[in-house]
Amino acid sequence: MGGREELQKKLANEGAFLYSTGSQDSKEEPGVEEESADVVVLPRRLLAADIPAAFRKIEARREEGGATVDFGGVEEFDSTTLALLSYLRSRSSDTRIINVGEKLGRSFEVFMGGTPPAAFAGPELDLPIRVLHSFSDRFLTQMRKAEKFFILLSDEITHTASYLRERRGVYPGEIWNQVFFMGNKSFPITCLLIFLVGVTIAMTSAAQLKLYGADIYLADLIGYGMLRELVPLMLGVILAGKVGAAVAAELSTMTVLEEVDALRTMGIVPERYLMVPRLIAITITVPLLVALADCVGILGGILVGRITLGILASAFIREMFTAVDLGDFLIGLVKSVIFGWAVIVGAGFKGLTVGRSAGEVGRATTESVVLSISMIILIDCVFAVLTY
Amino acid sequence: MDIIAVHDLTVGYGNVEILRELRFSIPAREITAVVGTSGCGKSTLLKTLAGLLPPLAGKVLFRSEPVDFLSEASLGSIFRGIGVLYQDGALLNNLTLFENVALPVRMRHPDLPETVLRELVHDRLNQVGLLHGAAKYPSELSGGMRKRGALARALVTDPAVVLCDEPSSGLDPITSGRLDELLLCLRDDFGMTFVVVTHELRSIAKIADRVLIINEGRLHLSGGLAEVMGSDDPFVQTFFLRKVDHDDA
Repeated sequence: MGGREELQKKLANEGAFLYSTGSQDSKEEPGVEEESADVVVLPRRLLAADIPAAFRKIEARREEGGATVDFGGVEEFDSTTLALLSYLRSRSSDTRIINVGEKLGRSFEVFMGGTPPAAFAGPELDLPIRVLHSFSDRFLTQMRKAEKFFILLSDEITHTASYLRERRGVYPGEIWNQVFFMGNKSFPITCLLIFLVGVTIAMTSAAQLKLYGADIYLADLIGYGMLRELVPLMLGVILAGKVGAAVAAELSTMTVLEEVDALRTMGIVPERYLMVPRLIAITITVPLLVALADCVGILGGILVGRITLGILASAFIREMFTAVDLGDFLIGLVKSVIFGWAVIVGAGFKGLTVGRSAGEVGRATTESVVLSISMIILIDCVFAVLTY
Repeated sequence: MDIIAVHDLTVGYGNVEILRELRFSIPAREITAVVGTSGCGKSTLLKTLAGLLPPLAGKVLFRSEPVDFLSEASLGSIFRGIGVLYQDGALLNNLTLFENVALPVRMRHPDLPETVLRELVHDRLNQVGLLHGAAKYPSELSGGMRKRGALARALVTDPAVVLCDEPSSGLDPITSGRLDELLLCLRDDFGMTFVVVTHELRSIAKIADRVLIINEGRLHLSGGLAEVMGSDDPFVQTFFLRKVDHDDA
């Protein structure tokens, strides 16, 4: 009983939670009051369904200047009753609790004992202050994330450069594994989507060009549009969805399962071991995909030109090369490689900074796709300003 | 001789302090059990000792040298000298058990002949009784096998200290007992030092030379096993004898 008495004393000293071990004890408690208009006497059965009514009654009494809540009659209770008790305990300034029975008290001790009331009762701030707090918190969180992102980006540049110099710190053969993985994952969907984009753009443009008798300029439009804009952009989005999501999911799972910590404690730098092979692999894979996607997209245009406008393939290609040159192809290629890096760095950032729960894996994956696509559009915009 | 010592160590995340002003030392060639209630900061302590989490205040000394958590060289000496056995093993899922155990050696000594590496890895796997599972992937291994595999990986670089985060959790009593035997054997035959975070009272009684008890983020008590078990401190009694106040009532 020693510990129990001590606990009762402690709680009684807090002035918030008068603990009774039986009816005779409760009569001896100085704070116990007989039932009166000021006292909210709780019913014998106080389960989740009964809590709202009791809570409303207590709150009404509190608003009138303070409430005394009598738990003496409570015999049937559940976790919500304990939560109510905990809440009332945290509102000691205007709420007194009396006659908590032994059974309820013991359950409270066991279930809620480790939870300090402060955890429930934050200081109540005015609305404008709360809004300001929330805004500043979010702003600072975003700034911290941006800082982490740029640190990771600069780390990756350093690690990749030092790997290319020393050829150490990466698992043997991992780069080619990643090339195969990325190429294999992106190749079919890239072919299909870019072909369809080529067809769609050609069909939309063909109808307009026909009106002005400028049918042959379809070749110029498709060639220029595909090489410089549509292939890089579409490929970037496909990479973000297929490769970026897979990388983010893999890295975040590794983080959650402590595999990243394990690498670090083995003296292996995870930012190098995990990211450098992927960055080099995407640098190898993207040019191949760009070349392929350019061909497939133009093929879509040629098909539409032949079917809807009757343009011969040879005429289409000859006309296209009067409008585009190697520079256009290279601009598209460079853009695509940079989009690829953005996808991998975005996925790595989300994957390696994930929390510790399994639920965070899905969130990190989704966020990595959003981040990658946002970066791709931003970089594309910068390219447009610089190159047009 | 103490292999690890901490002075007034305060550890936490952001502004939240998880452990406060810890002061203790880990003697070499002994098994030190770190015990305490769930969430008291035992695993956080291991992270700091492993060099993963910089302290908010205080010092960690490894082989009498203060650890600089911002220096790559200083952390490198920690990573070379300390092996970590994670709660769920943390084996890399895309590598076989053999490759998992070989990984730290490959990364540290890329020029080591493959035949020598193979011998070394087989030797470590044999030590933990897992030679037959070398070609399997972690997903094909049981929980106990994954932990033993992770122990082999932690041992393969001959660390001076191995930090074990709840090695017995989720294991049946027989597998858990075998793991305890293995730790004792490594201590006695190879002079290794272990810091073991555990809740398993039987395991503590069997393997621990010293016990550190952490309560509410502070070092509550530390000392030899007999000294700590014999303590009449109420928290220690509660912890080891599972005596809680309302059982008395």
